[in-house]
Amino acid sequence: MKTPRALPLVLLTLTLTLVTTLAVAPAPAFERVGDKKILVFAGRQEVPTIDPSVKYDWSIRMMQQALYDALVKYVGNPPEIVPWLAERWEVSADARTWTFHLVKNARFHNGDPVTAEAVRWSFARTLKLNQGPAWMLSDFLKEDGIKVVNEHTIQFTLGQPYAPFLSFVPWWYVMNPRQVLANEQGGDLGQKWLTDNAAGSGPFKIKRWQQGVLYEIEAVESYWKGWPSKDHVGGVILKLVRESAVQRAALLRGEADIVEGLSADDYDQVAKMPGIAVPNFPGMTTFGFKLNTQKAPTSDANLRKAIVHAFDYDALLKIYNGNAVLQTSPFPNATRGHIAVPGFPRQDLARAKEFLAKSAYPNGGIELEYVYVQGLEEERKMGLVLIDNLGKLNLKVKMVPLTWPNMVARGSKVESSPDLLAVFTTPVSTDPDAVAYQYHKNSWGKYYGSHFYQNADVWGLIERARTLAKWEERAPLYADIQRRIAADAPEVFGMLANRRWGMRDHVKGFVFSPVRFTGEVDLYPLAIVAK
Amino acid sequence: MLFGLLCLTFAISHVVPGDPARLAAGPDANESMVQTLRAKYGLDRPLGVQFVRYLGGVATGDLGQSLRSRNAVLDDLLRYFPNTFELVTLALLLAVVVGVPLGMLSAVYQNTWIDHVTRVVSVSGVALPAFWLGLMLQLLVALHLGWLPLGGRLGLTAAPPGPITHLLFVDALLRGEWRTFADAAAHAVLPVVTLCFPALASIMRVNRAEMLETLRQDYIVTARAQGFSGFRVVTRYALRNAMIPTLTMIGLRYGWMLGGTVLVETVFDWPGIGLYAVNAAVSSDFQPIMGVTLVIGLNFMLANLLVDLAYGWLDPRIRRASVR
Amino acid sequence: MSARVLSLEQPAERLGASRELRRYVRAYARSASSMAGLVIVAVFVVVAGIGPWIVPYPEDARGAVHLERKLQPPSAAHWLGTDEVGNDVYTRVILGARVSLQIGLIITVVAALLGVPLGIVAGHVGGRVGETIMRVTDVFLSVPALVLALAVVGALGPSILNAMIALSLVWWPGYVRLVQAKTLALGQETFVEAARASGAGRLRIVLVHLLPNCVSPIVVKGSMDMGAAILAAASLGFIGLGAQPPYPEWGAMISHGRNYLPTWWWYSAFPGLAIYLTVLGFNLVGDGLRDLLDPKSLA
Repeated sequence: MKTPRALPLVLLTLTLTLVTTLAVAPAPAFERVGDKKILVFAGRQEVPTIDPSVKYDWSIRMMQQALYDALVKYVGNPPEIVPWLAERWEVSADARTWTFHLVKNARFHNGDPVTAEAVRWSFARTLKLNQGPAWMLSDFLKEDGIKVVNEHTIQFTLGQPYAPFLSFVPWWYVMNPRQVLANEQGGDLGQKWLTDNAAGSGPFKIKRWQQGVLYEIEAVESYWKGWPSKDHVGGVILKLVRESAVQRAALLRGEADIVEGLSADDYDQVAKMPGIAVPNFPGMTTFGFKLNTQKAPTSDANLRKAIVHAFDYDALLKIYNGNAVLQTSPFPNATRGHIAVPGFPRQDLARAKEFLAKSAYPNGGIELEYVYVQGLEEERKMGLVLIDNLGKLNLKVKMVPLTWPNMVARGSKVESSPDLLAVFTTPVSTDPDAVAYQYHKNSWGKYYGSHFYQNADVWGLIERARTLAKWEERAPLYADIQRRIAADAPEVFGMLANRRWGMRDHVKGFVFSPVRFTGEVDLYPLAIVAK
Repeated sequence: MLFGLLCLTFAISHVVPGDPARLAAGPDANESMVQTLRAKYGLDRPLGVQFVRYLGGVATGDLGQSLRSRNAVLDDLLRYFPNTFELVTLALLLAVVVGVPLGMLSAVYQNTWIDHVTRVVSVSGVALPAFWLGLMLQLLVALHLGWLPLGGRLGLTAAPPGPITHLLFVDALLRGEWRTFADAAAHAVLPVVTLCFPALASIMRVNRAEMLETLRQDYIVTARAQGFSGFRVVTRYALRNAMIPTLTMIGLRYGWMLGGTVLVETVFDWPGIGLYAVNAAVSSDFQPIMGVTLVIGLNFMLANLLVDLAYGWLDPRIRRASVR
Repeated sequence: MSARVLSLEQPAERLGASRELRRYVRAYARSASSMAGLVIVAVFVVVAGIGPWIVPYPEDARGAVHLERKLQPPSAAHWLGTDEVGNDVYTRVILGARVSLQIGLIITVVAALLGVPLGIVAGHVGGRVGETIMRVTDVFLSVPALVLALAVVGALGPSILNAMIALSLVWWPGYVRLVQAKTLALGQETFVEAARASGAGRLRIVLVHLLPNCVSPIVVKGSMDMGAAILAAASLGFIGLGAQPPYPEWGAMISHGRNYLPTWWWYSAFPGLAIYLTVLGFNLVGDGLRDLLDPKSLA
C-alpha cells in the first residue's frame, strides 16, 4: 500500500493551497481620501430611500437633512427652531394661518432658485403620496390650503387651529419640482427616481449610492447658506457595518470617524481609548412598558399600580451603565412644558404589595405577557428585570419577542394588545402635543397607543391645549395632563437613554439636538481638524 | 418542480400574522397611510389573486418589492447574489482542493497518523457550528492577532471596481485594480474558511471511503502487480473512480453551503443573499424571503443537473446506460 | 471506519438475536472513535438529566438578574464567567444540555414519524399517491433545510416552539427519500415476493417484512440527525429566530454573547464548545452505527 511517489505531489498541492490562501492574507493599509477630508460614518442601518415624502428613520433622515433643506430647522439642545429656507414667519392669533418669507439666494443643486411654488409643490406631493411625514399635518392641512403669495412668500391655512404646526415643518423638505417631474415615470411623482437621487438644495449632494453597501455624499462648496467652519468635511461616506464588533474595530483603527449603535458596555470601553471621544447627551427617547388598560388582567388599575411600584427602575440605569435618566413625567425632559410629577412611581415593594392586595389578584399567581422587539438587546434585558421583579409579587412574566410589524399588529387591537409592551418612543417634535396626543383616543392601536388609555377628561384637555396659540395658556393644561396620566398608570414610565456616538477626536463641530433620532447626526456643522 | 417551489414559498410567507403594510408605512403612520400602501402593493386582495399576481410577476422577472426597503426584490437579488456566489464558489473550491488530496492521502496511508488527524478534522468539520467557528476565528485571527479584517466585503472606503461581471474578484482583475483585489481577498479569507469547513469534511470523508474501496478492487491490485507505479495507479484509476461519489457530495454540498451562507454571512457581515434573507426574516418582510428561497432552490436544482452531466463524463458506463 | 471490516451480508433473521447483538456490541466497542462518541453522548444525557441539581445557580436559567455581577471573567465562583445580566454562564451551559436534548429528540422523532410512513406508502403503494409524495418531497429537498426553516420561522415568529415546528417540517423529507428507496429495493427481494405470493396482506408485508428491514438505516440517520437537529436549532437561535431569553439555549447564548466580543469572550465561547462536543458525540455514534449496520451508505 505504500506509494512514496504520490506523497510529494500531494504535499505540493497542499502547500500550494496554503500559500494561495496565505498570499492574499495581508490586509492593505487604510488610506484617507485625498485632501478633501472625507468623514467615514459606520452605521448599522440602510438608507433604502431618500425620498422626503416617502419614509424617514434615523439613517434616512440624516441623509435627507444633508441633501435637502426645509423652511426651518431644529438646532441645538434644547432644540430651537431656527430660520432656514424661510428667513422669518408669522402666525395668526387663532393659530390657523402661517406665513413664511423665503430667503432670496437659496438654490437647488442644479441651479434653479428655491421658490414658494417649489415649497407648495413639495408639501402637496407629500400630502398626496400620503406616506412618510404626511401624518404630521394631514389632519390639518389640505392641498388647497397652501397658497403661493408671491415668489418668496407662502401661506398655509389650516382646517382648524393647530399650535404645534411649526414644530413639524422642519421635517418637510423642499424638492425641486422641475427636476423631479423631468424624471417622473408613469405618474409616480418621481417616487422611483427619488429613491436614490436627490433634488434638493441642501449642503451636500450625492456622489456614490451603492444600495446596501455605502452611501457617499459630497459637500456643495457653494452652498447658499455658506459653511460654519472652513474645515467643514468635504464629504461623508455612510458605510453599512452591521456588526458592532466590526464597527468598534473600525473606530479603534481609525478606519471610521463616527460609529453609532454600540452597546452601553462597548461605549464605556471605547471611551477609555486614546483618540476617541464619546459624546453623551440625554435623549428625548422614552422607554416604557405600555400596559393594556382595557383587557384583563391589566385593566385592573390596582394591578397596574402594583406593577409600576414593583419595577426596579434603577436596573434601567444599570443596564445603560448609568448613561440614562429616569422619567419624572410621561413627557420627556426636553419636551416643552415638562414638569417633574410629584410622587412619580419608584420601586417600593411594600406599596406594590398593598396595591396588589386591593386588586382582583391579591395573591398574584397569574402570568403576564411581555412583548418586545426581537433583537433589541436592551429590551430583552429589561424583560429579564421584569421577570425578576414581578416574581416577588408572585406574578409570572412570559417574554415574547416579535418582529416590529408583528408587534405593531398585536398592539393594534384591544383584544390582542399584550399586557406589557416594550416601546421606545421618540417624539418627532418638541411640542408637548406630540407626546400628549399619544394618550388620546385617536392614538389607540398605534404602537405607542397600545395602552388603549381611556380618560375623557384628559382627552378634553389635550384637544383644547393644541388649539391655543399662546404658550402661557397651554402650559398649565400640559402640567395637568402630565399629572393625570401618571395617576392612571397606563404605563411603566421608564427612562430616557443617553444618546452616544463613538467619534475620533479629530471630528469637530458636532452639535447635539435631542429631537433628532438616536444615531442621527446633523452632518452640516461637522469638521475634521487633523492634528 | 419549480411550480411546487413557488407554491411552497408563497404558502410559507403568507402565514405571516403581522401586517407588512404597516412595516412599510413606518412607526408613526396613521391608518389612512397604511391603507394607501396596502392598496399599492395589492395586500388588500384575496390570497388567490395575490398568488396569481405573484406567478405572473415571476414569469416576467418581477419578484415583488421589499416592503422594508421599497426596492425591487429582483434588483436586490442581482446586487447581493454575486457576492454569495463568489463566497460559495471559493469555499467549494477550497474544500475540493484541500479535501480531495487529504481524503486520498488518508486512504493511502490508512491507519497511520495522517489518517487519524484527517479523520478528526473531518468529524469535527460537520460538528462545529459554522457561526461559532466564524466568531472564534474573528476573535483569534482578526481581533487578537489583527491579521485579517473582521468582516464586510471591502475596506470601509475602498471603492469597488466598475461593474463588468458584478463578481468583485473578477471585476478587480479585469480592471487591474490590484489593491482592491487584495483588499477583497483579505476580507474573503475568514468567511471562505468558515464556510468551507463542513464541506471539506464531508468531501474528504467520502473520497477516503471510496478510495479505500477502489484500492481493494481487483483491477487496481492487478495494475499494481503489472508494475504500474503506485502514484499513477492512485491518481489515474483509483481517484477517478472515487471522484464519482465525491462529485455527488460536492453537488450536495453546494446546496448545503447556500444554506450555510445564511450563518456565515451574518457573522461576517457579508453582503450576500443570506444576510439579505436574515434581515428580511427578522422584520417579516416576506417578498425578499420568497425571492431568496427561490434563487437558492434554482441553484440547487442547477447544481444537481451539473453533477448528473459530470457523471457521464467521469463514468462511461453511465453515459452508455443513458444512451440506451 | 475501522469497524468497516465487518460485513453483514446475511439477512438479519438468520442469526440468533442475542448472539447478533453481542457481535454488534463487540464490533462497535472495537472502534475508539465510536466509543468516544458514546461517552460524550452518555455524559450529555446524564448532564441533561441531573443538570438542575448540579449547577451552582439554578435560578439563573429562569431569568434572574444580578446586574451587580455582570460580565465577570471565569473565576472560582463562576467557572465560565457571567453574562450581561450577571447570570452564571456555567449554569446556563449545563442547563442548556436539557434544552438541546429535547430539541434534538423532538425534531428527529417528529420527522421520522412523518417521513417513515410516507416513505413506505410512496415506495410500497406507489402509483399516483407515491408519485405525489415524492414530488412534494423533492420540492422540500430542493431548498437547504436551514433556509426553509428560516422562512418558516420568519413567518411564524421567533420562539423555540416555532423553531421546532419549522425544523420538523423541513426535516421529514429526508426520511421519505430514505425509506422509499429502501422499500423499493426490498420490494424486489425474494422474501417479499414470496410473502406476496403466499397471499400475505399489504399491511402484513409492511409490518413484518419492510419495516424491520428499514430500521437500521433509520437508526443510523436518526442518530446523525440528533446532532444535525441540535446544530440547526442552535443556528436558528443564533440568528435570533429560535429559543428566546431567558431560556438557556446555546445558540441564542452565542448570539447574545457575540455582542460582547472580544472583551467578554467567555460568554459566547463556552456555549459554542458545548454545541460542538454534543454534535461531535452524536456524529461519532452515528458513524459507528453506520459502519456496523449500513456500511454501504454514503454521506
